[in-house]
Amino acid sequence: MITCDEFMADLGNYLEGDVAVEVRRQLEHHLSHCQICQVVYDSTLKTVKIVTDSGSFDLPDAAAGPIKDKIMARIRKKSVS
Amino acid sequence: MAGFGLEWIQMSYLAEVDLGSSFRPFGALQNLFGFVPNLFRAQTLLPRIIEAEAGLAAAVLGKDRALPRSQKELMALVVAAAYGDTYCFTQQHQTLCSLGVADHQLDQIVRDHHEAGLSRPDTVLLDYALKLAMAAPWLSGKDINLLRDHGFTDESILEAIVVTGLTDFFCTLSRGLDPPHDFQPRPIPGSSKAPQADLRSYAGGTAGPYLPTVELSPERFPPFALFLERFGLIPKLFRAQTLRPDLIEAEADAVRKVLGPVDILSHVQKECIFLVGSAANLNTYCVAAHCEMLRTMGVSMEESDQIAVDHHHAELSEADKSLLDFALKLTARSSEFDREDIELLRRHGFSEKHILEAVAATALNNFFNTLQMGLGTTPDYDTKHVFGPKEAHLSSAVDRPRERAQLDPDAELVGRVQNGDLDTFEELVARHSRRVYRTLMAIIGNVEAAQDAMQDTFLKAFQHIGEFQGRSKFSTWLVTIANNTGVQRLRERRHIESLDDVPSKADAEFRPRQIRAWAEDPEQLCSQAERRELVERELMKLPVKYRVVLALRDIEQLSGQETAEALGLGIAAMKARLLRARLMLREALAPHFVSSAKRTGP
Repeated sequence: MITCDEFMADLGNYLEGDVAVEVRRQLEHHLSHCQICQVVYDSTLKTVKIVTDSGSFDLPDAAAGPIKDKIMARIRKKSVS
Repeated sequence: MAGFGLEWIQMSYLAEVDLGSSFRPFGALQNLFGFVPNLFRAQTLLPRIIEAEAGLAAAVLGKDRALPRSQKELMALVVAAAYGDTYCFTQQHQTLCSLGVADHQLDQIVRDHHEAGLSRPDTVLLDYALKLAMAAPWLSGKDINLLRDHGFTDESILEAIVVTGLTDFFCTLSRGLDPPHDFQPRPIPGSSKAPQADLRSYAGGTAGPYLPTVELSPERFPPFALFLERFGLIPKLFRAQTLRPDLIEAEADAVRKVLGPVDILSHVQKECIFLVGSAANLNTYCVAAHCEMLRTMGVSMEESDQIAVDHHHAELSEADKSLLDFALKLTARSSEFDREDIELLRRHGFSEKHILEAVAATALNNFFNTLQMGLGTTPDYDTKHVFGPKEAHLSSAVDRPRERAQLDPDAELVGRVQNGDLDTFEELVARHSRRVYRTLMAIIGNVEAAQDAMQDTFLKAFQHIGEFQGRSKFSTWLVTIANNTGVQRLRERRHIESLDDVPSKADAEFRPRQIRAWAEDPEQLCSQAERRELVERELMKLPVKYRVVLALRDIEQLSGQETAEALGLGIAAMKARLLRARLMLREALAPHFVSSAKRTGP
């Protein structure tokens, strides 16, 4: 049975789906026995989902067009000069 | 033939059979070289392939039409030396000696042809051959004009291209077959300097066609009828050579004899060999052509793209994967190729004939790839891959490392902008403005400053689009620029903590403190707007290096690899930073989402 520290050391790879089958088995075994790591794992997954779904820092529709026009105007001006 | 001692007697990789003295291609080779080189004897299992090669060699080397034989052999000599191919080098050396060129002069030419007392046109011609062999993507119309300025006619330029291609062909065969030396092997004197690449002059081999053509009708010119039947069109690669119909005939014959029969390798297997070889050579034209060929054979575009990018993840049998590994190594890392690679194929059940055909197909592909780069023809079909300069190829005379080609949905638009189509850039701005803006907001956190930095990001991208090499996706490249621009802006605004430290240990040692369980469905605890505001607020409290990695991986949802690339980090360092960032944000969000949190929201 792996320790909580060992679990935390592999959590990054586990979340990224990037662990070997044997390691995955050990991590999942640990999760099924350790309440704290279970909470950390579960809430980290939920954090990722909340961040992904939050629409944070989205460019307002109204701003997109004018900025694009400004960019193209600056580029055209540069290429002419 | 020169006498040679026992120490050079060796067997080539594959079995040989006796074709008898009446085998006509041997007669042709005898006429051409004065003897039958072992390179061809090593292919006696498939006489049709020797026929194709002898025909090609006779058409390219045998006729003194534009360039004299000695000039052609000189080109072949310096190219074989640059490839580090002792077998071919020795043979060219011998041929040139028999044409009356002195030993020591040849050595000097190989060491540095600029200092060998050659005429200016000869020097320029060798410059061109070396550039085509070693740095083809940097060739442009300028190189052709330089040859013209030194008195070379279009026909002689075409010959120069084909001679270089043929040398690549023969060097690939020599690597793949390891024939016994015909003469005492000559060490290659410290070889010519590899041509320097100038990134700005990158043309990618599709900036032409560089040479004029004449009309040949398929009714009167059988090779074109063959192409029409086989490909449904006359590829521009062949149209670009109409100054020399006899060359096209020999090439068509090689296509027919190497690719035509399916008694050994199947059509699909051969096309796949051409596809991975062309991708390894970063040949946009040929990759598009072979994807199309595979499509006509029932292989989906997605599948052939996958084979071009990474055949290991394609739906192929293990045997076919090993076949393509073989072709790829022979194309891209030929200096590492050895008997073990042959054994590997044997272990996968390939016969001697299979292996010989695979070597010949790989070599023929290199020939056509070189021709295409020299002629600069634009693709006959839509291109999904835009291949970038292969500077890695320049770093070594013998290796042609394969660069990572990716499926990039922007490849076509980027190609157009690179060719000077300014208006297309607007479409790229529209596609990516949100991504760039979000990245910048995560770094700078201020709407006006982020919008300002967004303009700078696209302006920089436009100014440097000529340097975009297709090694990463365009979107990843753009995010890299956005990241750099954003961090620079932030530095100007205030002192920030360093982004450049190697924090893996510190990142790994973060210990979670909030250990109360979260609600089953935490997103129901507050509205979308509230969640957005909360995430933005808490993200901005994190050190910039953590919010950037979160922005790229979890907001932009770049892959791990792309995130690492955009941040200039290794995968492991990126993952450590990402986990730390997620855990830190988790701490900050926990009070709002634990199962006992009130529904009133944050």
